[in-house]
Amino acid sequence: MIDFDLILRILIFPGFTFILLLTLFCDWVERKLEARLQNRVGPMVAGPGGILQPLADFIKLLTKEDIEPRDAKKTVFKFAPLIAFTIMVFAICFLPIDGASVLSTTGFNGDLIVILTFSTIASFLLFLSGWASCNPYGTIGSARVLTQFLGYDIPLFMLALTPAFIAGSLSIFVIASSQTIPYILLAPWAFVLFIIAMQAELEKGPFDVPDAESELVGGLETEYTGAKLAFLHLTRDVQIVFGAALVVELFLGGPYGPVFFGLPAFWYSLWFVLKLLAVVIVAEYITTLFARLRIDQVLSANWRIILPAAILSLMLTVAMVTWVYPLV
Amino acid sequence: MANIITWARVKSPWVLHFNSGACNGCDIEIVALLTPKYDVERFGVKLEPSPRHADVLLVTGCVTQQCAERLKRVYDQMPQPKFVVAIGACACSGGVFAGNYNVVGGVDKVIPVTAYIPGCPPRPEAILDGVVKLLNALSPPKPKKQPKQVKTPELPKEEAKPEVAKPEAVTQQEVKPIVEEAKPNAKQ
Amino acid sequence: MRRQNQTPNSNIDIINVIETKLKDKVQIQLGQLGKAAIVTSNGLHRDVLKAMVEADEKTAIIAITGLDLGANLGVLYHIRTSNAFLTIRAEVPKDNPKIQTVIDIIPGAVFHELEVSDLLGVVFEGNRLPGHFVLSEYWPEGVYPLRKDVKASEIKLNPPPPEEEKQPEYGKIVKIIIGPQHPALLEPEKFAVTVDGETVTKVEPRIGYVHRGIEKAAESRTYLQDVYLIERICGICNTIHACNFVEGVEKILKTEVPPRAKYLRVIALELNRLHSHLLTLGHAGLEIGYETLFQYFWRDREPIMDLIELTSGNRVYASLMTVGGVRRDLKDTDLPKIKTTLEDLRKKLPFYRQIYRDEPSIKARMQKVGVLKREDALKLCVVGPVARGSGVDIDVRKDEPYEAYGEIPFKEIVYTEGDTWARMNVRMNEVEESINIIEYAIDHLPTGPFRVKAPRVVPAGEAVNRVEAPRGELFCYIKSNGTAFPERVKVRTPTYANIPAFLKTAIGENIADVPPNFVSLDPCFSCTDR
Repeated sequence: MIDFDLILRILIFPGFTFILLLTLFCDWVERKLEARLQNRVGPMVAGPGGILQPLADFIKLLTKEDIEPRDAKKTVFKFAPLIAFTIMVFAICFLPIDGASVLSTTGFNGDLIVILTFSTIASFLLFLSGWASCNPYGTIGSARVLTQFLGYDIPLFMLALTPAFIAGSLSIFVIASSQTIPYILLAPWAFVLFIIAMQAELEKGPFDVPDAESELVGGLETEYTGAKLAFLHLTRDVQIVFGAALVVELFLGGPYGPVFFGLPAFWYSLWFVLKLLAVVIVAEYITTLFARLRIDQVLSANWRIILPAAILSLMLTVAMVTWVYPLV
Repeated sequence: MANIITWARVKSPWVLHFNSGACNGCDIEIVALLTPKYDVERFGVKLEPSPRHADVLLVTGCVTQQCAERLKRVYDQMPQPKFVVAIGACACSGGVFAGNYNVVGGVDKVIPVTAYIPGCPPRPEAILDGVVKLLNALSPPKPKKQPKQVKTPELPKEEAKPEVAKPEAVTQQEVKPIVEEAKPNAKQ
Repeated sequence: MRRQNQTPNSNIDIINVIETKLKDKVQIQLGQLGKAAIVTSNGLHRDVLKAMVEADEKTAIIAITGLDLGANLGVLYHIRTSNAFLTIRAEVPKDNPKIQTVIDIIPGAVFHELEVSDLLGVVFEGNRLPGHFVLSEYWPEGVYPLRKDVKASEIKLNPPPPEEEKQPEYGKIVKIIIGPQHPALLEPEKFAVTVDGETVTKVEPRIGYVHRGIEKAAESRTYLQDVYLIERICGICNTIHACNFVEGVEKILKTEVPPRAKYLRVIALELNRLHSHLLTLGHAGLEIGYETLFQYFWRDREPIMDLIELTSGNRVYASLMTVGGVRRDLKDTDLPKIKTTLEDLRKKLPFYRQIYRDEPSIKARMQKVGVLKREDALKLCVVGPVARGSGVDIDVRKDEPYEAYGEIPFKEIVYTEGDTWARMNVRMNEVEESINIIEYAIDHLPTGPFRVKAPRVVPAGEAVNRVEAPRGELFCYIKSNGTAFPERVKVRTPTYANIPAFLKTAIGENIADVPPNFVSLDPCFSCTDR
């Protein structure tokens, strides 16, 4: 028996198409917000208010000539961006978007660790794609990506464990659905640190060293053209959506919110999208308002500030949950 | 299908700026396009760092001998379809420096040029106007709304007044591909 | 730390020093080419320089001009001390054009000597570079463009050098090439940065990508046409280039410019300085990834461009200067508009000043980056905000006032830290000083003619002139031979003098610090290469 419902869920909503459209929409939101903060207008011509601009960029990139450098490692160069994109979309499929995850299940205990691992693998594939292009700028850019995301993975994992500890389970579904009071209020220190660690992991904001045009030309994307570049950009954008979605699930109560009338699935998706947009806007504010840090400053910020703070935050949360909250 | 592709290409032209020996006047006006007063991002134009990512090459400067080879190399690195816009009097023909010992004189002596924007330096509004005219010339004309629009595809030639003889032979091959490419796609 | 310019001009009489030390070996012509021209022969020029350096620590080489004098090649060393500006003349025969180098006495002379050897064929013993310095690699050997017998149309270029098959380097990056096409640089120049891990060990520049042969072209155009040619050396500091050239010609003609023209020139020059500083301050933001700062600065730069258009008719190339005055007058109805715009800009300045002084991310990226110590600044002969950021208080508007600067009060901004942060703050504070100067000039604008008629044919003679461009001291040397065309025009631009400082400060730094360091010296390669 073919489960049409599952196929529709995977392909259309809340699966692949929905995630793709959400990614393009978040890209537009970021560009408009950045433009407005810089006293400009942003994309205006492609579609009403420029909303089709990311789509136009994507289609245009797909139709450009594909150039492969002679010295590049062919297989990795061709497929790494595509596989990275696929893995990220697969990771998002575990998050409950309309009350249940895309795969119509309630997840399993430990899937938080699984999707964080997926995110790491996708970042590693991004590093490989820059490495395989055999261009000096690509090599340096990808080496920086590697050092940065490997370093920041550790505090990120620890901070992701904080809501798991409060909820008492490693299943995302359980964490999201047991937030009668959103964990942003119960453990605000963990939320702030998680946002910062997420910025660094996604190479946004003051931590966007691998994107440093003034030093590295195009960074790890330098040699990519055409469809492969389109997928690299898309992977980056999907990573941002994934990070924001993770924040929503872990700290903001997931898709659960008041249901006013009709289908709960509709309201859950609406709350999910609204909360996601709020996180994306906060992240973009942080990006626009600060200059870029140097790579050694980024790494020293990690090992000297974020990691000890993450450990302290975990300890503080354990103390609060064990002794303080049962009293309240 | 072809319409969607042309639409996407017209709405999202990514530019690469190359200075082939200019006095900086035109370059500053190009960078000024990104600033709030002119804001070229409205048209989807993004300034890209790498030649591999760009569609339109904005060249300024009378081409000096050292830059001529680099210009050709940067042009070759760009993926098709690509367009070249020569900005400023120096890029069009060598300008004030034509005839000097280190100057090749004019971008079209090195690479095929699609549009010329004269001026010393051209105002940002003039550069924007030239880029928009180039984009409009790429989209197929819409006969229903404004029948007079049919003249638009000739515009790139009009702007190259004194140099019409030489560049025409070169640019026609470059402007046509976007129309020819559309045809086989239309058969899908 | 900010210090007012109050070091008293030293009382060293450098002419006296030379007279006592090298009495009969040199010939001193007072009043020529600056304070004096000292005629020496090959070898003695080193002794003269050594005497000067020992007597005055602020001795610096401004430029080295090469001349084609028929059978000989002339080499002029233009020197600046703390209170004098003079020239050392030397000549070498064309068939054996060897002269001893001076880079061991004053290291800042290295670029100047290389250029003269490239363009005129003078061989500086002790300072040779394999290959060309300013000319391209296709340039034929033995052809020196600035010599009178070389015509531009007759030069045959060599075929391009064969491309070496480079082995792809996986993982081990030793040499990073910045440029010629690079998002950090608006202009094409090549810097081969050798790194060890993330630390820079050496920077090798390759300039000449924007070399358009302006000095040679100036010899085949009349003086009036040359104003427009020299103006186009650089689009950012175009007014000051024109003013420099025009003042030099007026010195040969001995023309006195009317007072109103002097004040109008000052207004145009300071508007130029304003827009240039705002440009650099915004561009620095772009280099450190602070795009918002870049957008804000350039948004506030647009009213200044409107003012330049109001006073001259064109946004960038004001073309206001002409021999004998300015080409257009300023209407009295325009003056209030200028003042209102400047008032608006002045109100925004505290916000920007606070950013450059206190903002944590700017301090993190700019403080202690690219430190240039005062001794190095003196030895490498740096000029402009780079020098004033390292505690060396040189400013031509104060040291040797030209136009109306002698009558207008303003402060010279000097910081002592010597790092990128100090240099950007020097420029930030100079913005306010420029606004003060323009407002004073508008309030005290004299009436009268704004132009006098100057003869087309310039009598034979030589002149040197220096002015303060936004990037530093700009110098020109003009030689006329009595016809309508100049015989030799030499321009030394401030960035040319500052690049050796960049080569020194970049060593030992993180590779990520190279762009902010680079932008802080405000490079303008079209000025450098001419």
